[in-house]
Order: sequence, then structure tokens, then C-alpha cells
Amino acid sequence: MKRVVVLLLLSLVMVSLVFAGGQQEAETETAEIQEGFNWQAYEGARINVIVNKHPWVELIEPKIPEFEEMTGIEVSLDIYPEDQFRTKRTVEMVSGTSVIDVFMMMPGNSLAQYETNGWVEPLNPFFNNENMVWPEYELEDFYESALGAGKRNGKNYTIPLLLETSLLAYNKKILDKYGVEVPQTMEELEEAARTIYEESNGKTYGITLRGKRASATSQWVDFLHSFGGDWLDDQGKAAIDSPEAIAATEFYGKLLREYGPRSAPSNSWYESISLFQQGEAAMIYDASVFRPNYEDPESSEIHDSVGYAVIPEGPAGRVPHISNWGLAIYSGSENKEASWLFIQWATSKAIALESQLAGIPSARASAWDSPEFKEADPSPEWTKASIRSYELASPIWNPPVINVGEARDAAGSAIVAGILGEDVEAAAKEAAKEMNSILEDE
Amino acid sequence: MVERKVKYLFPLPALLLMGIIVVFPIGYNLVMSLHEWNLAGGSGMEFIGFKNYLALLEDGRFWNSLKVTAVFTIGALGGQVIIGTLLALFFHREFKGKALVKAIFLFPIAATPVAVSLIWAMMYNYDLGIINHMFSMFGLPRLAWLASRSTVIPALIITDIWQWTPLIMLIVLASLESLPQDPFESAIVDGATNFQILRLITLPMVRPAIVVAAMIRSIDAIKTFDLIYVMTQGGPDIASENLNIYVFQKGFSYFRMGQASSLAVVLFTLVLVVNIVLSMIRSTTDSSTEA
Repeated sequence: MKRVVVLLLLSLVMVSLVFAGGQQEAETETAEIQEGFNWQAYEGARINVIVNKHPWVELIEPKIPEFEEMTGIEVSLDIYPEDQFRTKRTVEMVSGTSVIDVFMMMPGNSLAQYETNGWVEPLNPFFNNENMVWPEYELEDFYESALGAGKRNGKNYTIPLLLETSLLAYNKKILDKYGVEVPQTMEELEEAARTIYEESNGKTYGITLRGKRASATSQWVDFLHSFGGDWLDDQGKAAIDSPEAIAATEFYGKLLREYGPRSAPSNSWYESISLFQQGEAAMIYDASVFRPNYEDPESSEIHDSVGYAVIPEGPAGRVPHISNWGLAIYSGSENKEASWLFIQWATSKAIALESQLAGIPSARASAWDSPEFKEADPSPEWTKASIRSYELASPIWNPPVINVGEARDAAGSAIVAGILGEDVEAAAKEAAKEMNSILEDE
Repeated sequence: MVERKVKYLFPLPALLLMGIIVVFPIGYNLVMSLHEWNLAGGSGMEFIGFKNYLALLEDGRFWNSLKVTAVFTIGALGGQVIIGTLLALFFHREFKGKALVKAIFLFPIAATPVAVSLIWAMMYNYDLGIINHMFSMFGLPRLAWLASRSTVIPALIITDIWQWTPLIMLIVLASLESLPQDPFESAIVDGATNFQILRLITLPMVRPAIVVAAMIRSIDAIKTFDLIYVMTQGGPDIASENLNIYVFQKGFSYFRMGQASSLAVVLFTLVLVVNIVLSMIRSTTDSSTEA
């Protein structure tokens, strides 16, 4: 039987050589393609995946043999702590001779750099090839903002494996004690913070937010957008010194300076959530993934009285941001198709649901809507606020430049000036100047 | 003839090794500092001459980091030398448990700087730190130690003094204990007061030891990294960003290798100059005591 097939193929080749070669070749390819999606199409391939230590990785690691059995693709998974991971990944890319196929990445942090340098493979050719897309994959199940975050210059580069946003969390007991309603607007937010701080004689902070330079930009950006400002203007120049941006920075600074912790300029997320967990601060606006920390009976003194809401409405509405980890394919990979199969499996509906149940917020609507999750949901209020925030969110989180760290530090200087009650306008102008020089360099 | 020249052969391996581990990195750093090399952009090295250095002259953050380095070094070194010498003079007598006291003073030196910095950062915490707790017990105002531009450097200096004063003390104490007794005896016979003995005999005699101790400490203080990185990362804003932290930020946060190298060259030169000056002071004190 086998021999007959070989003979037939051989004669086909001969015929194609005799007649119009190129055209025939194209036709045999079409014949293959008509087979449709096949998990085993790349049997025998071997792919190298590098990831950073993360709860999602812990979840997926023991399942990889299932993928290997289903596809016949061998997966080698390397796990690094986050800081070393970022360095390792960049060094691999700069070297230009990496054998990496798939890597984890936060597009909001690194996509600009990776896309500009041509280190990541666009995924759209796969999306448009029905032989490469698993029929049950359902790309449209991902939140648009999450897929959008992995997009640059009209092309998709990452598939999100989790999706986080920022939420206003509040201590119900403290708000009740001072008769404060959950703030719906920025004015109400300030009023609530003021009431709590003043009526407790400064014993309870109205609110805590990050204030440590670069790290503060992550939540400050939501105030920036909600006040109508943005990182860049229409001409692609730094806009963090626009009147809207200055108003947002002054507001953010005032909240912390007058009703927040004195330690704010040195607080990153860790110090900030600690103050909230200990009941020292009545409200916090920080990443949604900290819910388990707020509600941990071991480490949180307020675990049974936390409420959640989306960002209060500013002059330009409610504009939170989303951020996410995703999977991407190295442009120099020799196993791009096998890599794409791995990504589809790792971000499938089934795994999304499992991660959702394990407390890792999924980027797929189906996981949030599933009866399994609804039944097991430990905090429906958080779920409701998270989904609302996803719907409102902008995918822009970090400054859209290649050198994100440098631009965040520049903006961070203006935020610190706001918190310390210094001249915000001057600091914002200086920061914008610095950002423009970073932009010119790129 | 050959035998005479063969002597040059023997130190050659050592010299080569020196060349590889000392001269090469410094030389490579110098070369890098003359290039524009932006790792984040993925571009290669481009020779730009002294432009990185010229850019430093207009870089406010560079001047700020120089100022922070100077204030921190002078504050920490001054405090350590004064307190360390006073403690050495105090402990320069026989008493029960002297060995134990010396051992206890070794603790801060032996502790890892990262652990020390973490503990001090907690003690400086505005809400939960023990320092503010004690301040309010005595009716003093609480301070946002590490979060305010005006207190962050003093706070760092205090930590550095805590950790490194014992080193100065031990060096000076060792020198005190090895001093000859005759000058002191004759001074007492001549009727000198204790203060006169201290000022005219003890201090001049231990001065070389103090200068050596200060030299060792000054190198460390100028290029302090761990303490500041762990406690403030140069913050709030850039209020505690010294030269070495700025080098790190330029190189490993912003991936601007050329600019970071030019900063590193400045730092290296600074350490070198301070040490040459201190060596000169040392040689003059040596000759003056010998004379």
C-alpha cells in the first residue's frame, strides 16, 4: 500500500516536472491544506518555551505531557524568576541566535521594543489560516482589550493568558463608620478620603496609592486618562504636561499629600497594600490581582470587609487600564507552527477556566461566564467590578515608547512632585522634555 | 644573555592574568564610554567620541547624583571617623568584658548590607517603624524618613554610620593599643593634663591609622550601592540617587550602555582622585610622626 502511494507521488512529481512545475506544486500544497486543522500536523517537532515564575506557569507545567501526547511535539520548559527572566529574554533576543520558540511577555511593557527590533512573529497569518486554527479555539472569546494590548501597527503579537485591571477597593467597616458612600466620581473620591482622614483625626488614611516614582505610573495613568490626558498627543509628542495631565497629577498628589500616608513617595504596591490590609487606609486603588491578598485571613486584618468598585468618574469618564501576560513566538524560531499549536493549547478555553478557578483572572469571557466559576466565585462583587473594568478599559498602560522604564521614571518625577506639594507644572514640563528626548532617540 | 632576560619571563603569567582581569574591563569600559550603544533599541555600537561626556555636563540628574555622592560620603565618613575615634579612646582601657564588647561591635560589620538595609528601612517606616514610635513617645514629631527629600540622606547616613563606625573604631583601637608607652609616661611626669596628652600625643600618633581607615571607608562610601538600592532605590524621586545608582539605572534599567560607561568612568576617576589625595595626606602624616 505504502509503495503504491510513493509511486503515485513520484509519478506526480514527474508529471509536474514535465508540465508547468510551479503551478503544480502550489496545487499539491492546497491539497494538503484541505485536510483542515490537525493537532498532529507537526509531530516530532521540539519547541523551547521560556517563562517566568508565575501561578499560571505552576498550573500549566504538570499538564504539558498531555499536550505532548496529543500533538507529538516535545516541549522544553524553562522557568526563571521574574527579574532574571526579563534579562535572560532580552539577552537571548539581542544575541540573535536564540533557540527559543515561545516566550512569556507583558505586551504593555515590552511589545514596542520587541516589535521595533523584529523579535516577535506576527500571529495574523495563523489567525487567517483555517488549517492552523483549532475550531474550538474561538479567538473572539478573548476580551477585545486583552487581544488589543498585544497588537502593534495593526498586527497581533501576543495571546493573553491572564488579564488584570485596577480596582478601587474599600474597607466597608470604615466607610460605614463615617457614613461615606462608595465614591462614584473623582470629587466624591476626594470628599470620601477627606471625611475619613479628618473625622478620624488623621488616624485612618482616606486612601493609599503608589507613590514611588516609576511604579506610581501604573495607577496614575488611569487618573490621567479619566481626566482626559494621555501619554502622547496627536503628533506623537509627550503630552504629560497638558492641562489635563497636570490636573490629574495634582489631584493624585493631593489625595496622598492631604489624606494619605506620609510615606507615599517611597511606597510601591507592596507597602501600599500592606497599609490597606492593616486597616490603616480606608481605600486603595491598585491591581485587581491583589484580591487574594486583601481577603487572606492570615495576613489581612480586614479580610472580611473589602468591597470593590471601578475607578470613579473623572472629567473624561472612567478609564481604567488592563494589563496582561501573554505568549509570543520568537521571529527567529524554526518551529513557528508547532509553537502556535502550543499557544492555542495553553490559552484554550479549558485551561482558561481552570486558571480562573485557581484565582488567576482569565482573559476569556467564557471563563468568567461559566457556571463553574459563578458557583465557586469567592467574591462576586470583585468579579462584577473586574468585568465592568475590562469593558471600560484602555489597553494603554505604559508610555508607548521603546524605553518604557526611562519614560516611566520621567513621568514618576512629576508624580512625586505632586505628592510632595511641589511645582507640578514645572516638573511635568521637565518630564515631558525628557520623554521627548527619549522619543527622538528611537 | 638569555639567562639575564629569562627573569622577565617568570612574572609574565601573573602580569597576563592581571591584564585580563583588571586592565581589560577598565579599558573596555573606556571604549564603551566613547560609543552610543542602546541595548533597548537593539542597535549596534556607534562611535561618537566624547559626546557622552559632554552630555553629562548638561545632565541635571548627573550633577544631582554627584551632589548626593558628596553629601553622603562626607556625612557618613565624618560621622564614622569622629564617633569611631571617640569610641576607640573610650574603650582604650582595661575593663571586664572588653573582649565581649569588641565582639559585639563586630556584628554590624559582619551583617550583610542588604539585611541591614531592610531592617533599617522597616525601622524608618512612617507608620510602623520603631524610630517614629520612639519619637512620638518623647513628644517629637514623626518624620517621613525615607519619603521626604530633606530627611532621606541623613537617614541613609545614620544607617551607614551604624554599620561602619565599628570598623573605624577597631582599627583605631588596635593602633592605640600598639602605641609605645614612654611618651605618655614622660608627659605625665612633665605634668601634662589629660586633654593635652590626647591632643598633642595620642591623636597625632594614631593619625596614620585614622587616615587608613578613612581611606578604606571613603572608597566604599563613594560607590555605595546596596544600602541605597535596598532602602530607597534613589528615591523619593532622585533625592538619594548617588553616582553608582545612576550608573545602574542608565545601564540596567534604560539599557544605555555607552552613557552608563561614561558615568562609570567618572565614578572610577572620583574614587581614584580621592584616594590619591588621602594617600598624600597619609604620607605627610607618616613623615611628620617619624620626624
